[in-house]
Amino acid sequence: MSMRLVAAELVESREILPGQWLQSYHAPTMAAGARAGQFVHVRTGDWSGLVLRRPFSFNTVDAATGTMTIHFRTIGRGTEWFTRLRPGDSIDMLGPLGRPFEVDPRSRHLLLVAGGLGMAGVRMLADEAIRDGRQVVVLFGASGVREVYPSSLLPDEVEYVVATDDGSLGHHGFVTELVADYEAWADQAFACGPAPMLRALAGLAVGRRARLGVAKLGRKRGGGRPLAIGSPQARRKAFLQVSMEQNMGCAVGACLGCVVMGVGGTPQRVCREGPVFASDEIAWEAGW
Amino acid sequence: MVSTGARQGAGAPRAVEPARTAIHGGPTGGSARESVTGGIVAISGAAAAVDLTVDLAPTRGGLVLANPILVASGTFGYGIEYGDVVEVGRLGAICCKGTTLRPRIGNPTPRVSETPGGMLNSIGLQNPGVDAVVERYAPLWATWRTPVIVNIAAESVADYAEIARRLDGVPGVAGIELNISCPNVGRGGLQFAIDESAAGAVTAAVRRATDLPLLVKLSPNVADVRPIARAIAAAGADALTAINTLSGIAVSADRRRPLLGNVFGGLSGPAVKPVALRVVYEVRQVVDIPIVAIGGVTELADVLDFLAVGAVAVQVGTAIFADPALPVRLVGQLAEAAARAGHASYRPFIGTALPAKPGVPSAKGVEYRP
Ligand SMILES: Cc1cc2nc3c(=O)[nH]c(=O)nc-3n(C[C@H](O)[C@H](O)[C@H](O)COP(=O)(O)OP(=O)(O)OC[C@H]3O[C@@H](n4cnc5c(N)ncnc54)[C@H](O)[C@@H]3O)c2cc1C
Ligand SMILES: Cc1cc2nc3c(=O)[nH]c(=O)nc-3n(C[C@H](O)[C@H](O)[C@H](O)COP(=O)(O)O)c2cc1C
Ligand code: FES
Repeated sequence: MSMRLVAAELVESREILPGQWLQSYHAPTMAAGARAGQFVHVRTGDWSGLVLRRPFSFNTVDAATGTMTIHFRTIGRGTEWFTRLRPGDSIDMLGPLGRPFEVDPRSRHLLLVAGGLGMAGVRMLADEAIRDGRQVVVLFGASGVREVYPSSLLPDEVEYVVATDDGSLGHHGFVTELVADYEAWADQAFACGPAPMLRALAGLAVGRRARLGVAKLGRKRGGGRPLAIGSPQARRKAFLQVSMEQNMGCAVGACLGCVVMGVGGTPQRVCREGPVFASDEIAWEAGW
Repeated sequence: MVSTGARQGAGAPRAVEPARTAIHGGPTGGSARESVTGGIVAISGAAAAVDLTVDLAPTRGGLVLANPILVASGTFGYGIEYGDVVEVGRLGAICCKGTTLRPRIGNPTPRVSETPGGMLNSIGLQNPGVDAVVERYAPLWATWRTPVIVNIAAESVADYAEIARRLDGVPGVAGIELNISCPNVGRGGLQFAIDESAAGAVTAAVRRATDLPLLVKLSPNVADVRPIARAIAAAGADALTAINTLSGIAVSADRRRPLLGNVFGGLSGPAVKPVALRVVYEVRQVVDIPIVAIGGVTELADVLDFLAVGAVAVQVGTAIFADPALPVRLVGQLAEAAARAGHASYRPFIGTALPAKPGVPSAKGVEYRP
């Protein structure tokens, strides 16, 4: 579905963790067209203050009720503005935007890796995968127990494994340290979170073939001609897909504000070629 | 060499049904009621009869726009990115992203940052180069009714002239906007805009290289913009556009470094409107060629303000990011405002706030320089 401008009505707003909010909006056309990994660009405030929209991932969508949720942390004036909205208030959303996660039809086992707010980016993929009969493990990392995403908000079918930096819950250490236990099991992995986490995962993905001795999927695919950066095929055949963030102006590909450097030396627009990329499409060391 | 007049007969962009673009020609009778994506344009019968046409190159071949609402370079890509959300067929013209001779990858990120009432950008002229623009986009533009003006930037006079030469005669290219004032490129960029002889020289060189309608974009980052405007007009520009962004910086949240990857960025949005108004007001009094105003347009009142100080058209930039339907909505609102005032055209709005005798600086205001 192509993007639209719609008025979305706030149905419910609640603080699920300190400073982290889950809001549900009634926006039937948006909910009908959205896929996991895509995002909306939401208008805030007025011209005197907040001049740019704010991007948020689709956290969950329910096409039956025509609702969608966003999950965000209040970090600045824009996100605070959202917390002051009341049920019945209507806000202006542009979406669905960007390219979604692409699951290979043959993948049975999906590994989802989320760092903090990165849960908002991969959460919907868990729903899609379970609906399609796949098995899902979610690895989640946070600084401490107070930041851990409630398991009650995840589908029951998901295996949920937590790591905390301070050891207050689950594995004591980084979420990336949990990956080794699942890398042979997983057919594909999907990640969203802070840039250092994504960079570390991309490094692990590169070494995976060597460690496992085989590349489980993709043996016969993509051989020869490299697939175009940003193409669904390139993502579908990748072991690891990452959802990237950049400050955005337009969110439709017009302003070139949101780029990350691609391996070919051409900047890629997070809003258009992304936000989901195959991890080997990104030039991680370029520092962009 | 292309005859710019020929553009007027071109078809509508594919995304737009012909009935909706009928408003373009002015009086259209039947299709008076319009509705716009996310907008509220319901053009009354009287407003539909208002003449919104404007010629940006009246002393040469002519660059006649259906209406005076344009979209600003760098904020509307190549006219396709906003898809069906914006009816490009209803815009007066599109200024595309700054184009250079060779491809440029632009500056490191972050490249945009919000500021009070505005934003900073340091894109650094990322673009695929003039040849790719001609190959990829011009054939599409050639099928549109809305003219596309190619914004060009370079670091030398020779490069400016070469880009103009490569655009000359290309179907789909309706005009050239010289960006002699981009604050985001390391070498040269701004130099042409701050020195009157350099500004005149680059304008003259491009003028020699092409017959395309030529707009030259002024920078606000100068002590006195008037001699520069005069030099550009004397060198053969058809119109002036004012203004480009103001140079600024932002500091990171942890206060350990500048926020933008390039340190410096260009300030745009509502915050810059008073500066843009001042520049148009000053320049209007020293040149006779049309002025297209840009800087912080977010509503009809802003358009009317710019017309009042002597602009004949406006470009909408940053505001598109928050409100993509705004430029198209402004077209209808301007027509309605003229109809309400009892005018047959929007032209009576132009220049009403200028001093009584243009060309003779008044004792009050004009010479005030803080
Ligand atoms: C594709 C995408 C999806 C996202 N999804 C989510 C999500 O689901 N949940 C969530 O909490 N956050 C998400 N973010 C980050 C979120 O957009 C920012 O946290 C938010 O814009 C900050 O706004 P603010 O006004 O509170 O902060 P401020 O710091 O005051 O914002 C100032 C400016 O910087 C921009 N900005 C600041 N941080 C970011 C950032 N990390 N990414 C993009 N722009 C930023 C803002 O949009 C704004 O223009 C996403 C970002 C992107 C690019
Ligand atoms: C993201 C961005 C990119 C821009 N790129 C260009 C450019 O390539 N060439 C140019 O002449 N002006 C460029 N501009 C300046 C705008 O065309 C315009 O002059 C300026 O933004 C002021 O208008 P506004 O306040 O309506 O945005 C850019 C502005 C923005 C915000
Ligand atoms: S935000 Fe404008 S190109 Fe991505």
